[in-house]
Amino acid sequence: MTTLNVDSRGTACPGPITDLIRAYKKAQNGDLIVLVANDPGAVPDSKAWCERTKNEFVGSKDVESAFEITIRVTGKKA
Amino acid sequence: MKNIAIIGSGAGGLITSSKLAKDLSKEIKNGEVTITLFDKKREQEFQPGYLEVAFRGTDPSKIRRPVKKLVSSGVKMIYDNVEKVDLADRYVKTEGSSEKINYDYIIISTGSSPDYDQIDGLKQANMDFHTDAYNASLIYNRISSIKSGKIVVGIGGLPYKCPPSPNESAFMLDEYFRKKGIRDDVEIVYITPFTRIYSAESINEVIEPMYERRDIESITAFNTDTVDDEKKEITSLEGETLKYDYLFLTPPHKPAGFLKGSDMSDEDGWVKVDKKDLHITTYDNGFAIGDTTNIPISKAGVEAHLEGVVVANNIAAEITGTEQKIKFTGRTQCSMETGFHKATFVVGTYDRPVEKIEPSTMNYMEKKVMEKIYWGSLHGHYEWLFKYHFKKDYFEK
Repeated sequence: MTTLNVDSRGTACPGPITDLIRAYKKAQNGDLIVLVANDPGAVPDSKAWCERTKNEFVGSKDVESAFEITIRVTGKKA
Repeated sequence: MKNIAIIGSGAGGLITSSKLAKDLSKEIKNGEVTITLFDKKREQEFQPGYLEVAFRGTDPSKIRRPVKKLVSSGVKMIYDNVEKVDLADRYVKTEGSSEKINYDYIIISTGSSPDYDQIDGLKQANMDFHTDAYNASLIYNRISSIKSGKIVVGIGGLPYKCPPSPNESAFMLDEYFRKKGIRDDVEIVYITPFTRIYSAESINEVIEPMYERRDIESITAFNTDTVDDEKKEITSLEGETLKYDYLFLTPPHKPAGFLKGSDMSDEDGWVKVDKKDLHITTYDNGFAIGDTTNIPISKAGVEAHLEGVVVANNIAAEITGTEQKIKFTGRTQCSMETGFHKATFVVGTYDRPVEKIEPSTMNYMEKKVMEKIYWGSLHGHYEWLFKYHFKKDYFEK
């Protein structure tokens, strides 16, 4: 299992989701993607994206004026 | 003597070189400054015109001009591609040459191009309107023969240039087949890896109802993984499949090859720059503009233009010591044609989210005006107009 850290601070929609999708393309099932963003839309957008792609939205927390969003990659085909 | 090197003769490189040539005309005349533009291309194309070529049958030659007519007086053109930039020792080398060409300032504006290697099977199956005008013209030849079937358009991968263009292709295909009277026989499906039809919510609110009214199907959160042209089938990263008869996807894009693996670039080759003054991280005399950068905003001509104005102004200010330095505001101004002579615009800055702008004929006319003034704008002829139009977003003091 690998953790992919993605720093999207300073970017607004669709910056964080673009960064998330680009990281997801390189990830394997079981990997964690930790996305840090200060765009408030990043949390609901990431949740919606996880629901649609069957990946797991592990959670989000506030970290130094930003949101740290953790996603477990579970949706990729075997 | 100060030597300024500009890599790439697209919109960004040309606008930057023309502003530098104007602002430093006295120094150039006195032999104190040289401006050199590097690019192998002998012709440039008006890239937003690819949609007109692909979906309205515009002759590709109408959106093409010889580079020699676009280079401003005072700028030396070298028709070679650069394959090495040494930021530490301040020199470049062109393809196949061992000669070191020294510079004092460098601006990298090498753009982006389709990267078919990212998606297995896409090259064989797809026709795109992002590679060049000729390839776009092949789409018009193809749609002219379509009597019925399922066309899939949309975003094949990230990043890509001209964010609204995949949506525009759906609207323009709808217009084309409605005018032809066979729209009921042609299914149009739009796919996107984002969770909305347009990634910015404000624009999505405008166009989502239009998709419903125009009977354009949309599939969101679809991450294209592979394409099988024999089966006429796209498979997503999640294992979903989608059948098609005709495929006009926007492919993911890549930067110029020499940037990948360079210490100035991120892992995909996009040059890491300060998003406001565009200097390459850790190198104050090196800059990158336009699609080349890793700035998370639209890869579109307006960004290259406004970033070029900032970089040219600041280099000229440093050389002459006369002007104030300025910053890029992150302003976007991407037109999105919605068909039938209407368009909206994707407008925002670093500090202002994308506005909700309803499609109108006036917006469409504004888009058409830009087409008319494009070639002159590369020489800097219309900066007064852009300055008036963008107002405080033109640059930040």
